[in-house]
Amino acid sequence: MTARLVRFAFVFLVGAATITGVVRAAAAATRSSAEPVPILISRQLSTRAHVAVGDVVTLATDPTGTTARTFRVAAIYEPTPDPMRFTAERLEARVHLHDLVELTADAAVPASADAVDTINVRLIDPADAGQFASDLTARMPGLTVRPTSRPPEGDPFAVLDRFHLAIAIVTVVGSTAFLLALMVIRAEERRETIGALRLLGISRRSLLIEVAIEGVLIAAAGAVFGALVAFGAERIVNRVFQTRYDTTLVFVRVTASIALRSIAIAVPLGIVAGVGASWTLLRRDILTLVRR
Amino acid sequence: MTSAWLAWRTTTRYRARSALAMIGVAVISALLFDMLLLSHGLVDSFADLLEHAGYDVRVLSTEGVPLLRAPIPQAAELAVAVGQLPEVESVARVRFERAVVTTQGRPDVDVALLGTTATGTHAAWTLLKGAELPNDPSLERCPLIVAQRLATAWALVPGSTVSIRATLPGRQSALPAVGCRVVGTADFLFASADEYDVATTMQGLREVKGGAADDEADLVLVASRPQAGPAAAVRAIAKLRPDLRVYSNEDVVAQFNRNGFAYFRQVSVVLSSMTVVFAFLLVGTLLTVSTNQRLGEIAALRALGIGRPRIASMLLYESALLVGGGGVLALPLGGMLAFGLDRILRQMPGVPERLHFFVFAPGALVLHLALLAATAIIAASYPIWLTARLPIAPTLRHEVVG
Repeated sequence: MTARLVRFAFVFLVGAATITGVVRAAAAATRSSAEPVPILISRQLSTRAHVAVGDVVTLATDPTGTTARTFRVAAIYEPTPDPMRFTAERLEARVHLHDLVELTADAAVPASADAVDTINVRLIDPADAGQFASDLTARMPGLTVRPTSRPPEGDPFAVLDRFHLAIAIVTVVGSTAFLLALMVIRAEERRETIGALRLLGISRRSLLIEVAIEGVLIAAAGAVFGALVAFGAERIVNRVFQTRYDTTLVFVRVTASIALRSIAIAVPLGIVAGVGASWTLLRRDILTLVRR
Repeated sequence: MTSAWLAWRTTTRYRARSALAMIGVAVISALLFDMLLLSHGLVDSFADLLEHAGYDVRVLSTEGVPLLRAPIPQAAELAVAVGQLPEVESVARVRFERAVVTTQGRPDVDVALLGTTATGTHAAWTLLKGAELPNDPSLERCPLIVAQRLATAWALVPGSTVSIRATLPGRQSALPAVGCRVVGTADFLFASADEYDVATTMQGLREVKGGAADDEADLVLVASRPQAGPAAAVRAIAKLRPDLRVYSNEDVVAQFNRNGFAYFRQVSVVLSSMTVVFAFLLVGTLLTVSTNQRLGEIAALRALGIGRPRIASMLLYESALLVGGGGVLALPLGGMLAFGLDRILRQMPGVPERLHFFVFAPGALVLHLALLAATAIIAASYPIWLTARLPIAPTLRHEVVG
C-alpha cells in the first residue's frame, strides 16, 4: 500500500462554511473502515495534489490529522471565477454540509454541530432583498443580513469603471489632437483643388457638405476597424491573463454597446475635425487658394 | 544652415499642425508617464507606510490573505520570548475588533477598534492632540485614541467620554457598552476613508469585550536591532516558533506586489505599451504625411547640394521637436492627471487614506524620457528612408511640371 501522499494547506470552502485543512491523497485503498463520502476537488487542487476522480483523500482540520476523515473524489470542478481573488490560487474542495460539520464539530461545544458561517436565501421576488434584510435584522439583532447584489456605494468595480472612463477620455482628447493635425495637413494638400472647385462655381456650403460626408465615411471606417481590432485584442488579452492567473475569469469583454459607444464618439469627432480643418481654407478668398 | 535650424523653420512654418501634434504627444505622454508612476506607485507607497509604523517584522499565525481569522494564542508569552532575542529591539501585540461607539444625542457609529501595546514613535498613528496611550495599562481602564475625523464629527477632545460595545462577526452579542475616556486624537496610518479607527490598550480591549481573559493577538509587530537587521530577526523568530509565519516588511511588500497589486501592474503594463505604440504610430504618420507633402521642397534642397545625412538629421530633429515639446508639456500635465486618477482610485473601499497609487519616482521619469526618445527615433525612421531614396530630378519635374 504505497501511498502517494501530498500535503499542503488549502482553503476549504463548502457552501458557506470555511475551514483550513490538509489533503492527503492516497492512490490505493482507503484506511478508513467506513465507505468514503464524496468530495469535489477544484481543478487547481487536483493538479497541485495529483488527485484524480475516484482517488481517496484524507481531510483533517489540523496538520497532525487528529480529526482525519476519508473522502472519495467524485468530480473535479472549475471554481466560479472571482474578480476579487483572481490572483489567489483556487485550492478548494466541496463536501456536503453534514460531512463538513462532522469533520469540524467540537465535542466540547454542542452548538458547533449546528453552526454555519452563512445562510444563503433565495427570495421569491429579488426586488424584496432590501426589505427582507431590514426585517430580518430587526427580528434577530446581531445577525448581519445583506443582499448579494453589489452595494451602490463602496463598490470597488464602480471605482475601476470611473478610472477606466477617465483614461478613455484622456485617450480621446489625445487622439483628437492628432486627428486635427492630420486633417490640417490633408486640407493643406487639397488647397489648390478646393480653389479650382471654387473657381468652377461650387459653393462653400457644397464643399463643406462634401468634406463632412467624407469625414463620416472615414471616421465610420476607422471606428469599425478600431472595434474589430478591439474584438481581436479581447481574445488575446483574455488568453494571456487567463493563462497567467490560471483562471476562467473574463478580463476584457467588448460588448456591442461598447463598440456602438466608441463609434458614436468617433464619428462626430471625425466630422468635426474634418470640417474644422477645411473651414480654415474655405473661408479664404478664391485667389488666395489658387495662389494668385 | 544647420539641420536643427531647418527643422525649427519647418516646425514654426506649419504652426497649427505642429501645435496640434505637440498637444497630442503631450496628452498621450502624460498618460504614459502616469502609467509608469502607477507601475510602482502603490507598492512604494505601501512600503513607505509599513516603514513609517516603525516595525520591520510581522508575526502571524497563518500565511496569505486574512480570509480566516486565526489569532495567535498566548501572545503575551510569545512577545516576552521574542523580546528576549538578541536580534530584537522591541515587540508589540495588536488585536483588531469591530465595535460600535455610542454617545448621547448622536447615532451609533461602527469603528475599527485596535487594541495594542505599541505606543509613542512605534504606534501606527501620528498623535495630533492629547496624550499617547499609557505605558502602564493599570493606570486607566479604557483609554482611547480616536481618529481625527471621528473627533471632528463628534466634537471629541481629550477628556471626552464615549461608550464602546464590541460586535462579534457572525454572532449575536449582548456585550454591555463600556465607558472609555478619549486621551488623544490622531491621524491613523492605515485608516481608510470609509471607516473610523479607534485605538486602545490591550487591557482596554479586554474591558470592551466583557473582561474576557483571552491572551490572543492578530499580529505581533517586531522592531529589529539596527545592527542585526530584519532578516536576522525573521530567522531568529522563525527558529523560536516554527509554527508561526514571520515576515519582514520586504516580504510583505513582495507578497503585496504579487497578489494585491497585480491588477494595477497589469493595467500599467498594458496601457504603457499601448500609449508608446500609439505615440509612435501617430508621430510616424504625421511625419510621413508631412514629408510626402514636402517632397518637392526636399528634392530642391538636395538639388542645392544638401546631402542625405543632413536631410535625415533634419527629419530626426523635427521628430525630436514634436516629441520633445510634447514630452516637456507631458510632465506637468501628467502630474495633474495623476492627481485626478489617484483621487478616483483612492475611493476604493478599505484603501488607507495615506496610500497613493501614483508616486513620483526618478526611475519612472528616466524611463519615460527614454521611451519618448526611442519613439522620436523610430517614428522618424520611415520618412528618413523615404527621403534617402528620393530621386531628385523626377521628383522636381513631377512637383513643378506636374
